Amino acid sequence: MNLLPDTPVNSKSPPMSLSRSPSPHPAGGGWSSPGLTTGSGSSTPHSGFLSPNPLGPSGISWAAAKAKSDEVRGYPSFSTRNNGFFSRSKRRISATLPSFRVSSRSPNGYIDKDDFGRGRPFSSGGGWRSCGFGRTMLRRRRLRLLITLILVVVGYLYFWTSFLERYRRSSFGGGSKFVIILESNVEGGVMELKGAREWAVERNSIRNKQEYARQWGYELEVVNTLAKKRYSHEWRESWEKVDIIRETMRKYPHAEWFWWVDLNTWIVESSYSLQDHIFNRLGEISYRDINVYNPLNISHPPTGAYLDDVSRSPVGDGDPSSIQMVLSQDCSGFSLGSFFMRRSVWSERLLDIWWDPVMYEQKHMEWEHKEQDALEYLYTNEPWIRSHVGFLPQRYINSYPPGACGDGGDPDIHFVEGAGDFMVNLAGCSFGRDCWSELWEYRRITQEMNRPWRERVEDKATGLYEKFFGRQDNTPQS
Amino acid sequence: MQFALPPRRNVNAPLYGRSSRLSLQRRKQLKAVAILGFALVAIYFLLSQLFYSSTGTPTAPAGTSSLVIVTVLDRARWSADYIQKITKNREEYAKQHGYTNFFANISDYETTLESAPRSWGVVPAVRHAMAAHPYSKHFFYLDAHALIMNPSKSLESHLLEKSRLDSLMLKDVPVVPPDSIIKTFSHLQPQDVDLILSTDGESLSSGSFVIKQGEFAQTFLDIWFDPLYRSYNFAKAETHALDHILQWHPTILARLALVSQRTINAYSKDSSGAGVDGNYKDGDLVIRFFGCDTDTKRNCEKEMEPYYRLWSKRLKND
Repeated sequence: MNLLPDTPVNSKSPPMSLSRSPSPHPAGGGWSSPGLTTGSGSSTPHSGFLSPNPLGPSGISWAAAKAKSDEVRGYPSFSTRNNGFFSRSKRRISATLPSFRVSSRSPNGYIDKDDFGRGRPFSSGGGWRSCGFGRTMLRRRRLRLLITLILVVVGYLYFWTSFLERYRRSSFGGGSKFVIILESNVEGGVMELKGAREWAVERNSIRNKQEYARQWGYELEVVNTLAKKRYSHEWRESWEKVDIIRETMRKYPHAEWFWWVDLNTWIVESSYSLQDHIFNRLGEISYRDINVYNPLNISHPPTGAYLDDVSRSPVGDGDPSSIQMVLSQDCSGFSLGSFFMRRSVWSERLLDIWWDPVMYEQKHMEWEHKEQDALEYLYTNEPWIRSHVGFLPQRYINSYPPGACGDGGDPDIHFVEGAGDFMVNLAGCSFGRDCWSELWEYRRITQEMNRPWRERVEDKATGLYEKFFGRQDNTPQS
Repeated sequence: MQFALPPRRNVNAPLYGRSSRLSLQRRKQLKAVAILGFALVAIYFLLSQLFYSSTGTPTAPAGTSSLVIVTVLDRARWSADYIQKITKNREEYAKQHGYTNFFANISDYETTLESAPRSWGVVPAVRHAMAAHPYSKHFFYLDAHALIMNPSKSLESHLLEKSRLDSLMLKDVPVVPPDSIIKTFSHLQPQDVDLILSTDGESLSSGSFVIKQGEFAQTFLDIWFDPLYRSYNFAKAETHALDHILQWHPTILARLALVSQRTINAYSKDSSGAGVDGNYKDGDLVIRFFGCDTDTKRNCEKEMEPYYRLWSKRLKND
């Protein structure tokens, strides 16, 4: 309501300078131009707001350099970098744009220049013109209202994201109820040589989850799954997963859901929160009767006459709040590339029983996929597990790329661009496929989808323009 | 357009005056609305609490006994007379203390057991009893080759009451005698106990135990009954599986109270393998004729006979 009187003021400005909603800050010549364009906004330094950036367009190379140095400094200390409140907020304050832009631009050194070369046709010239416009406004009595408006807009642009993230992280927002456990440093490069591509996959994947966790206020635990000696016995290898989940549960005593994510994954729709996407409607989207999709042909429900009603029911007790583990099935059975576990007595017991020497001694030749096969076995044979496991259709949490489970095109399994798939799991990409190029492709799709609305409008306008007047190849550079 | 209006201050003054007058008039109304709102919230809260508690804990139907005695009988191989003695012994005890008996037939579980030894029948039998008596709290499994010799002792006062259990629980002792490196938890509280076992001279004893109904029981029994344990050829079948589970899985061990053998599991003098002070003495709750069915030189019916007579004489005297 308060803003209503201001609208005439605002509506006057566009003919003067820009089609966007710029704010003619008196001293902000440098700020008003690159600060609002998409490319530099993500990495505009804090000082860019206070003093005009004399470099103008050459600030781009500075941004790229900073992004690069961020990686270098950022990688080894990823778990501790968000510690201080100030360092955290400083980063947020400096980020005018939604956070996914950061992930889409900076994490990779290969393309920064190419990306900027893509060229948004805005120059810094408009900023100076709007400055003159501001000087004329100074003489009028509406100045106060204008400043209020500017403050609101600036506050919105600069602080809203950080405010939102802080809220989500707080106990009201509920973000701290979720912990993402991301596997990294698989086998520590012991078994295979770790080349540039492996490092790039790792860096990008971690960055992707960091951005997601920060945006929604979740905790991210990047775990080091290097081949420890204690797991190198043939019966114990890859049981690290179980131990890690247990350790993480101990580390975050107030979190409720723990989301295990493999390294070769990419969150495409970072605009989905786990609450909205899954847990607020778990009862509607999950199925507990495995007959809905049963690639392993597990006979369900258990039929033993000595079992109680809940154990013999195909859907357990039917109450979504009793689901303690959420996972998906691919074409060959359970998929543990992305699954959720709730902290509970039940999950403690499952994590305890998951590895048993007597069972593993008899089956270690058969259980090629180790803990995955073991879980399938336990699910099949121990009714207490069944009544607390919920399955999600695969594409809710675990879409596959073509090459995993067939060559693509299966609507139950494979990623479809533009259909709102949450996350893609490049399952098996290290066996004869190219993890890095696949990850790169999904990164591109994410960038495409998460363009800010300004770019979308622009692209649409360009599209329309090209449709009517033919394609123009020489896009203005500055 | 709005900027053409007169300066704000002139507008504000009358506004303030009017609002204060209004609040004076409305104070009573507002108070009433506030009280009404508060009352509604309070009523809603109370009602929701009421309904929550009524749906949250299912109430047991009248006449449900708190304890069920589980016995597995082999009607195909044992004489009717022997079975009749076993059931009579347990029924008298149940009558005296208001317990319920659950007599399971081993033949019911034979298809499930497949080639595993029949002694595994204990596990589905207890699960079966729990399914049949969903509101009973405790389940006392007692091997068929055993008699309850001191029916005047109720299981509550003898074992299950918190203070009693606290004094009976063996803390920080090897789970499997004589020297397992895994020991029972030293900080265990009686309210955390879901499973009460005893050991004989060689291992944990699966012939006499008490288990509490609930999620733990399902978990524990399902794990115990896992096909891979049944097919593993443990020398002592389900007994060794029990040893294995409790030594390898701390979440199960955390719910176990170990008690001395004679509390629920005294062996007759003919039985081998009793632990230290594990042989039956007069006044003990139960006597087990451990191994009488597997040892070809022994005969369960004959061994039980003198004790059965002693028990029925006492029953008449009471």
